[in-house]
Amino acid sequence: MGNADLRSLASIRDVEFADVEGSVVAVDAHNWLYRYLTTTVKWTRDDVYTTAEGTEVANLVGIVQGLPKFFEHDIVPVFVFDGEVTDFKSREIADRREKREAAEDRLAAAEERGDAVEAARLEARTQRLTDVIQETTRGLLDRLDVPVIEAPAEGEAQCAHMNAVGDVDYAGSEDYDTLLFGAPATLRQLTSKGNPELMELDATLETLGLTREGLVDVAMLCGTDFNEGIAGIGPKTAVSEIEEHGDLWGVLEARGESIPDAVAIRNLFLDPPVREDYAIDTTLDPDLEAARRYVTEEWEVDPDEVERGFERIEESIAQTGLDRWT
Amino acid sequence: MFKAIVSASTLQDALESVSVLVDECKIRLNEEELAIRAVDPANVGMVDLSLEAAAFESYEADGGVIGVNLARLQDIAGMANSGDLVHLELDEETRKLHIEIDGLSYTLALIDPDSIRQEPDIPELDLPAEIVLEGAQIDRGITAADMVSDHIRLRVDEAAEAFSIEAEGDTDDVDLNLERDDLIDLTAGPADSLFSLDYLKDMNKAIPKDAEVVVELGEEFPVKLHYSFAEGMGNVTFMLAPRIQSE
Repeated sequence: MGNADLRSLASIRDVEFADVEGSVVAVDAHNWLYRYLTTTVKWTRDDVYTTAEGTEVANLVGIVQGLPKFFEHDIVPVFVFDGEVTDFKSREIADRREKREAAEDRLAAAEERGDAVEAARLEARTQRLTDVIQETTRGLLDRLDVPVIEAPAEGEAQCAHMNAVGDVDYAGSEDYDTLLFGAPATLRQLTSKGNPELMELDATLETLGLTREGLVDVAMLCGTDFNEGIAGIGPKTAVSEIEEHGDLWGVLEARGESIPDAVAIRNLFLDPPVREDYAIDTTLDPDLEAARRYVTEEWEVDPDEVERGFERIEESIAQTGLDRWT
Repeated sequence: MFKAIVSASTLQDALESVSVLVDECKIRLNEEELAIRAVDPANVGMVDLSLEAAAFESYEADGGVIGVNLARLQDIAGMANSGDLVHLELDEETRKLHIEIDGLSYTLALIDPDSIRQEPDIPELDLPAEIVLEGAQIDRGITAADMVSDHIRLRVDEAAEAFSIEAEGDTDDVDLNLERDDLIDLTAGPADSLFSLDYLKDMNKAIPKDAEVVVELGEEFPVKLHYSFAEGMGNVTFMLAPRIQSE
């Protein structure tokens, strides 16, 4: 479902950091990283995060700049990485790749023309999680003792599952799919300045008068990452159609429409592949020396760019809590 | 059941000691005393207050718990002139606290205690050093430290039998050094811990300048600050978790 659509239906409210202090959040890593990657690439000179051999590790800058927020508010992040890309998503991803390749062509043309602003704007859109980014992200998180979970498939589904079974207090994502995957409570806007938002499943279902199946059906009617929606059906219409016809099949039949692979996609939302055997150690004991060496020596990132971030992390772990002595 | 009359200044002193850390709290209306125990959201600073029945002009309670918006209660208590008496009565049916100060009546809606952060367990700590000094001395040390840094170091020099409050800034340093003669009492022991100045400043606001403050200190342990008010019938213990330098 397009983000705008799901946002218009979901129950979302602002929360203060004070309300979520001390909590554990399963963060969709791809989603989180993407934000910081694009910001870093947009605003930082590329020699800052490029090794002598030309390898780009803008993610390391992004992570050091984005993580302190968690530490400072005493929130334990658990980073959840995508596993196998789901078949159906391949189509959507193929679409996105095409768009990205077209953008890259335009970028090359813009750079030729010497159009720096246009080039920067387009560059931000061409970020992809390269193998190096995957490897170095895990390397840094490991040294900072931040828990990492490898999801079997969708990261957001794994986050939602961990939230639903109570192993984490919140799922963390800038998108809205965690709601469809069944996360009771999702924190959004963790990558922005200012307060986060809380998106709640129960409140959403109650307000809309839907079951979770109904919500997924509504989403599918509007279009998700896995399927095109039905033309002419927006979120409000979808909700009333489901109310009238009971479920997705009822609506499709009434309208004489069909959605390819509907059963499988629906199942994907309602019962996604997730990992159940994981252990999260929520007491973080970062090795800042090792992290600094990894980032600035091994991967040649300009120390000036990351010093403040490391300092902030160091500051926040220094303060102990009284519960250490009870 | 709860009904009491207390001097405004005693009430204000009591509330101040808690409000420097939290905005709302549970108040235990025990038979022998009124008690509040609370910890700040980050679990770093704790207060343990008890105000004996004898500190009140009159006091009747049978052990209930109420939840209050402290900021609001403080505002109301602040309406009193010094020397005024504050009348308090709990209406159990409506869950409201009736407050009367010299003809002015305020009915305060109470908060469901279950929705307030749980009262903390008090760490059992046997700290090796004990320093007794005037609130004013602590105030000097904290004020000076605040000029240079966010952190403050409390240390006992066993050999020299001295207690020092130190702070190091980027360029400037501060050191308030108090020897045995400058102190009311000193029990030397190994003690050296670092604290966040923000919290200590807040606690300092509540400590009367002329109070005798008992500081219990260890090496990388929480610090305990204890003082009395209301002629010894009100007792406050603050506890603050230390900052630990990671290896």
